[in-house]
Amino acid sequence: MLLEVDGLDLRYGATHAVKGVSLNVAEGEIVTVLGANGAGKSSLLKAIAGAVRPGAGTIRFDGKDITGRGAAARVRAGLMLVPEGRQIFVSLTVEENLLIGGYTRSDAEIARDVEAVFDRFPNLAARRGALASVLSGGEQQMLAVGRALLSKPRLMMLDEPSLGLSPILVDQLFGLIGDLNRQGLSILLVEQNTHMALEIAARGYVLELGALVAEGTAAELGADPRLAEAYLGATDDAA
Amino acid sequence: MLIVQQILNGIMLGGIYVGVAVAFTLTIGILNFLNFTIPVLFMLSGMIGWSLSFYGLPFGLSEPLGWLPSLGIGIICAILASLVVERFTYRYFKAKHGDATEHAIPLVSSLGFLLIFEYMVLIAHGSDPRGFHTPFGDLDLRFAGLVISIPQILSLVVSLAIVAGLSMLLRRTQLGRALRATAENPDAAVLMGIEVNRIVPVVFVLTGLLCGLAGALFAVNYGEVSPYMGDQVGTKAIAGMVIGGLGSVWGAIAGGLIVGLTETLSIHFFGATSAQITVWGLLLVLLLFRPKGLFGHNAIGKGKF
Repeated sequence: MLLEVDGLDLRYGATHAVKGVSLNVAEGEIVTVLGANGAGKSSLLKAIAGAVRPGAGTIRFDGKDITGRGAAARVRAGLMLVPEGRQIFVSLTVEENLLIGGYTRSDAEIARDVEAVFDRFPNLAARRGALASVLSGGEQQMLAVGRALLSKPRLMMLDEPSLGLSPILVDQLFGLIGDLNRQGLSILLVEQNTHMALEIAARGYVLELGALVAEGTAAELGADPRLAEAYLGATDDAA
Repeated sequence: MLIVQQILNGIMLGGIYVGVAVAFTLTIGILNFLNFTIPVLFMLSGMIGWSLSFYGLPFGLSEPLGWLPSLGIGIICAILASLVVERFTYRYFKAKHGDATEHAIPLVSSLGFLLIFEYMVLIAHGSDPRGFHTPFGDLDLRFAGLVISIPQILSLVVSLAIVAGLSMLLRRTQLGRALRATAENPDAAVLMGIEVNRIVPVVFVLTGLLCGLAGALFAVNYGEVSPYMGDQVGTKAIAGMVIGGLGSVWGAIAGGLIVGLTETLSIHFFGATSAQITVWGLLLVLLLFRPKGLFGHNAIGKGKF
């Protein structure tokens, strides 16, 4: 297993955000985490990324226990989070955003990898010297993914990447996630767009109020009547 | 001709303010922290420089040192003092109270450091101004009836060169990008693998370097240092930073020069005691029409340099 999370528990003050969640992602797999707003999905990803410290539980990446390691060490190991709301740096240029994605690297191939991202996203290439604030929502999401790619991740975690995108852009985005996966990148995807997520993922987990309430293959979850009632109906409208 | 001379003097004086104004703008822009110890770092470099050139190393370890090594050590001491401030104001309170940048605690504790350092120097050396002598203290360039002091023009050049170098650092290096990214969005910066706890001391080292250098240049230019030398320069540099626009390096440069110019012209036309009224009056009037300052951005702490 590339990523193994065991009994992860996280509190913010009085809020018990994540309650003893265990999940895993195999090399080359796309795994999705589903759940309503406030189910603890983002907190879970932030804890895996090392941005917040869990109260209990262990996180193993590539067989090594990284629970006590900082975010930087996790990025270096190949674990990268594309945060909710993109969080690109609007006071930096498009190109600088990509360069900062490669912050933990010291090899000479960063420039080449920046060009590779620009080849992948010609829209970004056309605005490489412009401040990232001028990009549209879809372009910002591409930049956020491109920035994450610059760290040479082995596992990319995406937090609600489709949020605020038009249906066409959502299709493009999921196409991109599929492409990246076929090129060898493992994906942990948090989505409210349950349909799309289950279409692309091999397996999924369902969180409710911080606790794991269901897990299984995408087909099993898609057929689960409880899930259909709780989430699929709601996201049909949204999508 | 006299007025041209005054304009020249004003720009030279502004050159001293530039380094301190940029130090203020850097800590405000990146850390959202008004660091009150900045004037005292300026003073420490000048006073320690003077002490070494007058007494030599402490405990009789050496004869009086030459002016250059004295000021060099003075600058290093300013950098070290700045790191002490980082450790015990910014980092300590951030670790203890979470995001203390949102609170007045670092600001007040930096004010505490200002007074502690100032009174330590007062206890050691008393409050009298001390003469600081360099071999070229009186070298002047005379041109078309104008007098340009060579140390002044050199210090203006050094000051601008350091700030230009700083601007390059911020724009062209990965460290600079990391500083700007941290300034804009520390949470996202952490996700990029930027270790904010290692980045923050860099800001304080740069602060100490800029202030220490400005203090050394002041000592060379005016041939005199005192434990109070930071106070006047500190308030003028804050005015310069605000006039230029908070968080903008080039704004701080322009603001520093404008304040220097306003000060000498004010003294020329209205007498020696008018400078503070003119400088702060200009600032208040400017803020009425341009609340962001000349080169400022909309939101403080978001997107600059």
